[in-house]
Amino acid sequence: MKYIWSTDHKVISMQYLFTGMFMAVIGGFMAYVFRMQLAFPDIAVPGYGVVSPGEYNALVTNHGTIMIFWVAMPVLIASFGNFLIPLMIGADDMVFPRINRLSFQLFALSAVVILASLFVEGGGFGGAWTAYPPLSAEAEYNLTGLGASLWLVAVALEFVAFLLGGINFIVTLMNARAPGMKAYDIPIVVWMIVIASILFMLSVGPLIAGAIMLLFDQTLNTGFYDPARGGDPILWQHLFWFFGHPEVYVVLLPAIGITIEIVATFARKKLFGYKLMLYTAVSTAILSFFVWAHHQFVAGIDPRMANVFTVTTLLISVPIAELLFIIMATLYGGSIRLTTPMLWALAFIAEFLIGGVTGIFLGASGSDIFLHDTYFVLAHFHYTFFPIAIIGSFAAVTFWFPKMFGRMMNDTLGKVHFWGTVIPFNFIFIPLFVLGLGGQHRRIYNYKLFPELVDGQPLRVFATYAMLVMLAFQLVFFYNFFRSMRKGPKAPKNPWESNTLEWTTESPPPHGNWPVDEMPTVYRGAYEYGHPDREEDYWPQNLPS
Amino acid sequence: MSEHKINYTKIYFTLLALLAVSVAGPFIGIQWVTLVTAFGIALVKANLVIQNFMHIRVEKSWIKWMLSFSILMILLLFYGVAPDVMRHEGQNWTNVAAQAAVERGIPDGEHEEEAAHAEAEPALAVEESDFAAAGTYVTYCAFCHGVGGRGDGVASSAFDPRPADFGAAAFWDARADDQVALAIREGGAAVGRSESMPPWGSVLDEAQAAAMVEYLKAFQTGG
Amino acid sequence: MTMTKPIATTRSASGIPTGRLAIWWVLASEVVIFGGLIAAYLMHRLGHPEWADAAAHTNTWIGAFNTVVLLTSSFTAVMAHQAAERGDGKKAARLLLLTVGGALTFLVVKGLEWRSEISHGYTITANGFWSFYYTAAGLHAAHVIAGAIIMLFVARDAAKNRELHRVELIGIYWHFVDVVWIFLFPLLYIAK
Repeated sequence: MKYIWSTDHKVISMQYLFTGMFMAVIGGFMAYVFRMQLAFPDIAVPGYGVVSPGEYNALVTNHGTIMIFWVAMPVLIASFGNFLIPLMIGADDMVFPRINRLSFQLFALSAVVILASLFVEGGGFGGAWTAYPPLSAEAEYNLTGLGASLWLVAVALEFVAFLLGGINFIVTLMNARAPGMKAYDIPIVVWMIVIASILFMLSVGPLIAGAIMLLFDQTLNTGFYDPARGGDPILWQHLFWFFGHPEVYVVLLPAIGITIEIVATFARKKLFGYKLMLYTAVSTAILSFFVWAHHQFVAGIDPRMANVFTVTTLLISVPIAELLFIIMATLYGGSIRLTTPMLWALAFIAEFLIGGVTGIFLGASGSDIFLHDTYFVLAHFHYTFFPIAIIGSFAAVTFWFPKMFGRMMNDTLGKVHFWGTVIPFNFIFIPLFVLGLGGQHRRIYNYKLFPELVDGQPLRVFATYAMLVMLAFQLVFFYNFFRSMRKGPKAPKNPWESNTLEWTTESPPPHGNWPVDEMPTVYRGAYEYGHPDREEDYWPQNLPS
Repeated sequence: MSEHKINYTKIYFTLLALLAVSVAGPFIGIQWVTLVTAFGIALVKANLVIQNFMHIRVEKSWIKWMLSFSILMILLLFYGVAPDVMRHEGQNWTNVAAQAAVERGIPDGEHEEEAAHAEAEPALAVEESDFAAAGTYVTYCAFCHGVGGRGDGVASSAFDPRPADFGAAAFWDARADDQVALAIREGGAAVGRSESMPPWGSVLDEAQAAAMVEYLKAFQTGG
Repeated sequence: MTMTKPIATTRSASGIPTGRLAIWWVLASEVVIFGGLIAAYLMHRLGHPEWADAAAHTNTWIGAFNTVVLLTSSFTAVMAHQAAERGDGKKAARLLLLTVGGALTFLVVKGLEWRSEISHGYTITANGFWSFYYTAAGLHAAHVIAGAIIMLFVARDAAKNRELHRVELIGIYWHFVDVVWIFLFPLLYIAK
């Protein structure tokens, strides 16, 4: 019972982690159902039943919404932010522990609401995670009136939870650092989570306003997005994407931060360019505000605007590529230790790279005219989101598990899980690039109804089989995770020989993180690996010399 | 943190005086005066409250930067979105519904049902009975056949032969009305013409296609 | 609800006390929420000059009165802060209660105003202008209510000379609510 009402940041981080993992299972199950429908249309899906067109829409809508808002953000930002930030800056907790608890409670409520939305009359909202009106505003069009409003309320609650949580993270980083920790001594992952929180906060505001307007259109019959009554559906698109694009960087930056921590530790090498990485991350965040309409190239926006957004979108690939280059430069010449977390970090770089370069075709308005709304888009964003949300999460979990739970995960099972996830992942989505280039459009529940697309069916079946293999291998992770929690070998304070402050305390850390009179003082940066004068190849931040 | 001798009472009465001016502004009756007094004074009042009551003038300067950045993002939102939402036409696009609404004025709530249909009508000189055809034409046909029906739509130069020119008497002399309706519903190939004309049978039923033919004829008189 | 503050809360590496820093970040997020709503309203209002017919029916005098009420409540809030700075918790609490009184007056007047407008048929669905009017003023009113409630808690503690720094914090939030209204007033009442 004390765990439910706890204000300890570590307990709250577990709450977010387990909620996120649970929601990942739900989101993954939805993907299983709709991919089975696509591969074997109108045949009952084992474990679900026959998928009607309306249900298909609800499944893809909620899969997307849940994976972004109830898996990626809670795990990468809320869970690891809560766990790592106080520990890595040498604090005993967040500066506002009770607001922290409130944030999780609001988040938990939002999860209950989104799950409830799936079971009400009419079923879950089926208007796509982008919820464009008039489809999302009029129950007579979307046929899921109650589900649509509950979906909107759930997302709004989640936004408020993350606004509150974000403020906690930002103020904690700004104020609660250990004595001696200057700005450039802060580990990159902490910076990234805080920059992501600021980016989220500044971009979500207009969408909250827009969501209130949409909710009123749905429930009060206002006409904010109804052109016949002086409204404009394009306004929703702009408000949505003004947030939606920065949002992808909100999840990307923490994933890159996690990758950096792991790479520096297991390459035994100083981070290639700390300040460069920091400033590049900030520039990416600022630039991300200027690219949003590339999601709307064929929506009817003024073509002259499309020109502007093409330029800005192609420009933003530069700082992002630079972040990846810095990681690669850190690896170069390092003494590589291929542990499971390191494998995940390396996979992140490789897979995200593919996602990033395919984005170029979509960012140029000319090629986007053909590719928009095809499976090419879908494959692109899964090649970016999957590394961020899934690979990034597994990297973080396998790396910090010893600190969080005081035991070591089994490395062999970890590697089996790794290969069983990453290889099938590519076999799911490369066929989808091919199908997209061939003209297969999104959000269709049965491609056999389209004579010109029937030929692609073998690829759809192949992708689905790959997904089944990948899902099966997740059982290895769950077994490893839960078994190691109870029976894994006890973890020492610093199993990976890493520099940052969280590794200087017990595994798991006690309440208050360090004894009150032993709070750490910081003497150097976080990446002093492989220093030529030292005997050890690492140099913890809290050692006086 | 000390307040550096700010006279709050003086600021308060200044705020009230400014409010009085901004309320009086509209009575002068000149629009730009109203706007300046209303919004200019709002800016001044807000500044007084922010600097003095919220103590921004003695706060660490980066707080000002952080808040300014938020406001900058809102300006970015406004200038990035207004060209699409505030304006009602641009390069190759027209917000027909909004233009119609502006011309007619939004009706009361109880009339919105029938008025909504009326407002779908673009500002073309066509008869009341053709209102459904007008909206449909703009949505599906104008891209190739042109807003004025002269076969000079945005995409027209891509086709050989060019899309049909409904304003030319020669077009109507050369074929029967039901042939035109058939082409609309089943495509150009169905009447022995270019297959670039797609079939629209899923959009228009026979009665609607016939109504569309009548609508198209009006282009001959510059409709 | 009392718990020992973590050491983290007492540190101040940035030089700004933690509570005040947090309030400024809350305001930053509120700026973009209200800013988004107001920007959306402006785009529509400028693009639909025919909304002037509807806008003509807002009551400028009531709006002006409510502006006076909010400005006065901001004044009492900053005086409360001054009292708290001098350690006079009881006076701070009294001034905060006056501020809450201002908030209640504002809400009552707004309630009467809306009742009158609704009875004339100017409902939220009547027209695009009215939709924005009720949404913007409604969102603002929700923030007035939330602020007033929190202010009551702060006043209760201040009267016992506890947590006096929170008087300033709730004051900063309150001034923001006032500033939003300073812009809503000309937008909804004067610019006809």
